[in-house]
Amino acid sequence: MNQTPRGVNRTLLVLLGVLLCAAGGHLLLVSLGGSYALGWTRFASLAGGRFQSLLASTTLPGQPGSWLWIVAAVALVVLVLLMVWWMAVQGKGRTGTYAREYYDDGARGMVEIGAGVPEQAIRTALSERHDIVSVNVSVWDSPQGEAGLRIRVLPRQGAAPLRIAEDISALVVALDRALGRGGPVVIHLAAGARARMSRSDRVL
Amino acid sequence: MTGAERELIQHRELYSARSAAAVVAASLVVAASIYLLFEVVLKALGQEPWVRSPDEWWAWSAGLPSAAEPVVLALLGLATLGLGLYFLLAGLLPGRRRRRTIADPRAVVVVDDPVLAAALARRARTEAGVGPEQVLVHLYAKAVEVQLIPTSGIPANAEAVRAAVEQELERNRIEPRPDVQVRVAESGVVGQ
Repeated sequence: MNQTPRGVNRTLLVLLGVLLCAAGGHLLLVSLGGSYALGWTRFASLAGGRFQSLLASTTLPGQPGSWLWIVAAVALVVLVLLMVWWMAVQGKGRTGTYAREYYDDGARGMVEIGAGVPEQAIRTALSERHDIVSVNVSVWDSPQGEAGLRIRVLPRQGAAPLRIAEDISALVVALDRALGRGGPVVIHLAAGARARMSRSDRVL
Repeated sequence: MTGAERELIQHRELYSARSAAAVVAASLVVAASIYLLFEVVLKALGQEPWVRSPDEWWAWSAGLPSAAEPVVLALLGLATLGLGLYFLLAGLLPGRRRRRTIADPRAVVVVDDPVLAAALARRARTEAGVGPEQVLVHLYAKAVEVQLIPTSGIPANAEAVRAAVEQELERNRIEPRPDVQVRVAESGVVGQ
């Protein structure tokens, strides 16, 4: 339900993976010596010489070095910023506002429903249940407009999943009616250490 | 929720986003870039390099087989290759999570495999009339394996257990429904 850019993740991972595999394979082949290592030395010194003449031709008079270094520095700063953005968008999309609407008839203003409203409502409704160890509700921005709900439930060991899911689904329908919203909802019946440790429900 | 939106959310719930690998990859690139940036800026300012200037690094790599210990170089190559494979596989493999969906008209419902396994195990043991330690349920992508240790002297009816587990899967509307296999152990144990 979050807005992690999965396509970006996959593309960049494949790109970096191919680059690192190539570099690793190259290092392995070079370490073995032989004709590959010889060829590499020849190629590298040739390329190095070309690069040195390029540096010399791009050095402005009176400067300590080529302006290519400044270009490289700027490119590296951009790369670092892009990587920081990439890390920052992982798992993004959680929000503290469930609904927000502007009214301009009568008393004008904004009506806002915080994420705590659906959370507390669902928590309270489920607090009496014995087949649930814990409930966790989060609100997520949805690209389609209305905010989405993610309800993570830890069922007690051996509890029938459908019964819990149906009851929560009915709760969500009631909540839709009460709040006048109907965004996407995910109900996740999760396994966790807390559920494993808790005694199993004895009622069959 | 439209059908397409539901499909999308379901897919996002069932498959990994590869966030962990992404964060590792991004941190590595940031670390390498910051080091390189440092050396490049020193070079651009005409200062002494910190470890080696970029062109000195290039010259070092050109003289590689003799410039470094071959064993160290080979280990470094292996480590790089392993890391590259990890990223490559994270990018290419589907990364299916151990979860399944339950059909529901309002919400997208996903169940972690251990939760479903516990429910199936309970059903199997009530059907077979054995204790909780005598049933082990294992969920694979397309199959359910029930391992049953009967109580000594009381034969276990594998077919009945299989039917019960299948009924439980059907009752919980698990889609697509996995095949059920029941294995009864040769020797029984003292029951509770």
